[in-house]
Amino acid sequence: MSLPPAKVPTRRAIMDRLVEAAKEDPSFVVLDSDIGYSTYSYLFGDAFPDRYFNLGIAELGTMAAAAGLAADGRTVFVCGYGVFLTMRALEAVRSFVCYPHLNVKILSSHAGVTAAIDGVTHQATEDLAFMSTLPNMTVLAPCDSSSARAAFDLARNTPGPVYVRLMRDPLKEVYAPETTFRVGGSHTPRRGKDVTIACLGDMVIQAIEASELLAAEGISAEVLDLYSLKPWDEAGLAESLDRTGALLAAENHQRRNGLGYELAAWCMRNGRSVPFSQAGLADTFAESGAYGKTLEKFGMDAAALARAARELVSRK
Amino acid sequence: MTTSNARSLDERAAFLEMKAREVRKAIVEMVHSAQSGHCGGSLSAADFVTALYFDLMDIDPAEPRKPGRDRFVLSKGHACPVWYAALALRGYFPAEELSTLRRNDSRLQGHPVATYLPGIDATSGSLGLGFGQALGMALDARLSGRKNTVYAVLGDGELNEGVVWETAAQAAKYRLDNLVAVVDRNNLQNDGRADVIMPMEPIDKKFEAFNWRVLEMDGHDMRQVLSTLEKARERSGRPTCVIARTIKGKGVSFMEDKREWHGKPPSDEERRRACEEIEGRTP
Repeated sequence: MSLPPAKVPTRRAIMDRLVEAAKEDPSFVVLDSDIGYSTYSYLFGDAFPDRYFNLGIAELGTMAAAAGLAADGRTVFVCGYGVFLTMRALEAVRSFVCYPHLNVKILSSHAGVTAAIDGVTHQATEDLAFMSTLPNMTVLAPCDSSSARAAFDLARNTPGPVYVRLMRDPLKEVYAPETTFRVGGSHTPRRGKDVTIACLGDMVIQAIEASELLAAEGISAEVLDLYSLKPWDEAGLAESLDRTGALLAAENHQRRNGLGYELAAWCMRNGRSVPFSQAGLADTFAESGAYGKTLEKFGMDAAALARAARELVSRK
Repeated sequence: MTTSNARSLDERAAFLEMKAREVRKAIVEMVHSAQSGHCGGSLSAADFVTALYFDLMDIDPAEPRKPGRDRFVLSKGHACPVWYAALALRGYFPAEELSTLRRNDSRLQGHPVATYLPGIDATSGSLGLGFGQALGMALDARLSGRKNTVYAVLGDGELNEGVVWETAAQAAKYRLDNLVAVVDRNNLQNDGRADVIMPMEPIDKKFEAFNWRVLEMDGHDMRQVLSTLEKARERSGRPTCVIARTIKGKGVSFMEDKREWHGKPPSDEERRRACEEIEGRTP
């Protein structure tokens, strides 16, 4: 059963929910750094001009301003591209948002090579490493419209800083609109018994497609969507590994210091000696190109995940 | 303080000069106790910080989080001994705690941390980024309909940071006339003369070009400090930059205008001499 196409990308879905919520909640503000027509924060700005601040092409100063706006408890959403928000503004995020535990919510678009067409300077392929390393930070990575809309509410309702990883292009819809999500939760959109593909963001879609390829050859792959990377659902992984006994971690991100390293360390700490491998950027930069072709070239498409899963099953 | 306007400028200045001596002495003793910290830039800022805390700002140590309070951000966070001294002497926390500066379990961290001490609204220490927080606080005040003023103290070396000029442009865009930046123009930074390490003059014209109102004062003349900062907090439709011409290490002759006193703690003997000078026991 193939997934229905998404009408909007996650960056748009979350902003639609934000604008809805703003009609009932007059307290939060939105900041952007002259990329509002790309993050869709302009939708909020058009509807609520008094609460929208376009602070120019100045991500570091904008993040410092967010900290000041949040100093007395106000919730502040900062919109932009992941590369700039998590690198140029990283120090302000660390020392002045995370350290004082302020309600600054980072809505970060162009995750991984979902911004493939723009090239490496615009691809956030280390953002999960930076953000999940920061104390007090919650990290969410939705894969479709339902989970992106839910991520808005989780971000707003979770005290302290939250990072939400969003994508440039409309992909597929995975979850029904009424699906619920929670910080530290996971979903299992495909059940299996031979191998677990733990993943987040767009890799959930590739993993589901991989599970269909594998099913055709008699391998039963489970897809575990860890849409909450920090904190993450350790019990969910433990149960999944009880069923499958093999683990593939798939992330549109560097393999270092993201989901895969987190899960591998957990396996070591918990004595879970299972066949393990990773899909993701192998200590390399990607390149410009079409999203699908770029996933394929760098080993993150459904076929590559299926190959990796097949190999894991053979090692059991 | 509520009675300030009833007193003459001379009376207020005389009171503040006495308080500034107490603040200076506390700075020297605190950094001596820690054997670490920044005397020079604390002493250069001591007079105008004292004026803000003991006269000009609308604050209440008994209610440190009072919503309408004026906000103070020490963007040159390494000068926190002057802030800690002013806060303790103003009654935010016991003065005995000053001797715990930079020690484990102390609320007096090496650079100021908002959540640790009453009276500290913004974490700072990474240069350039307190200023942006002050801008955010000024925006927040406007959004909330509060009339308070936000004061940010910047070092002149700090102006080297590019992000300062991001914030300067952003504040001007929103005409944040509730934001006052005081530049502690002591012309020394870590490695030497500020105007040699990275020439930033004309500082006044730079801020003016960014559509700020610029005022200047002798940062050690308490009458000028009072009258200039009173003017600075008047709403003018633009953010205000006050350039405070100061002397690094002011008040301790052997520290004055000396690069090495940026971040050097005094020895026992230096502490003794410094305190004697500050108290006026030696000429």
